[in-house]
Amino acid sequence: MHRQFARDYDSLAAIYEFAEEILAANEIGEAVRFPVHLAMEELFTNMVKYSPDTDGDIGVDVVVEGGAVTVTLTEDDVDEFDVTRPSGADTTSPLAERTPGGLGLHLLHNIVDKLEYDYHNRRSRVIFTKESG
Amino acid sequence: MFEIDYGDDGKIKCSGRLDASQCEKAQSFMDDIADTRTLDFSGLEYISSAGLGILLKTQKRLAESGAALKITNVNNHIYDVFRYSGFNAIFDIKAKEQ
Repeated sequence: MHRQFARDYDSLAAIYEFAEEILAANEIGEAVRFPVHLAMEELFTNMVKYSPDTDGDIGVDVVVEGGAVTVTLTEDDVDEFDVTRPSGADTTSPLAERTPGGLGLHLLHNIVDKLEYDYHNRRSRVIFTKESG
Repeated sequence: MFEIDYGDDGKIKCSGRLDASQCEKAQSFMDDIADTRTLDFSGLEYISSAGLGILLKTQKRLAESGAALKITNVNNHIYDVFRYSGFNAIFDIKAKEQ
């Protein structure tokens, strides 16, 4: 299923409901639903944050096949931002030296089973898969 | 929907989903904390990196005066998020009893 969402953090509730409806209909358990929702948010908010000069909607596709959930997020007229690159997040320093930078991508890399990035003609497309079990 | 408020036991009760759209509300509350407090996550279903950023910022501010946030009743999924982020080394975190 496909739906377009306004490029705004306030779209997150609608994105959650959209995905939740599909995941529940396919009897996807909480152990997969949580990381799917988290990965969707991290990618969506990344797109909102790092492409401030465009106001086009962001497309979201959710497909469930054989128990695996595949989500694609697509945005047009944006600069390249490869989310598969290392996040650079600091998860080991003492508190005084910690900054939250890169944590979103770091989490993303830890919770999905497959992550792909495609950039062509200023169209950015991110596809991730979360397997069940 | 995200809710945050003081409970009768003095702990700070968090419930719902702490995502990027709820950060302003969470940050506003956290900015008023001045001493060591326990966050009760028994009603919190979800947190993203946006929420982690608020916790980290608050913990760093409190540490300057020798205070700290403690977090209790954390569900398995949120505990994993803390673990991936290395937050278990900079927060006192207790998982929810199953």
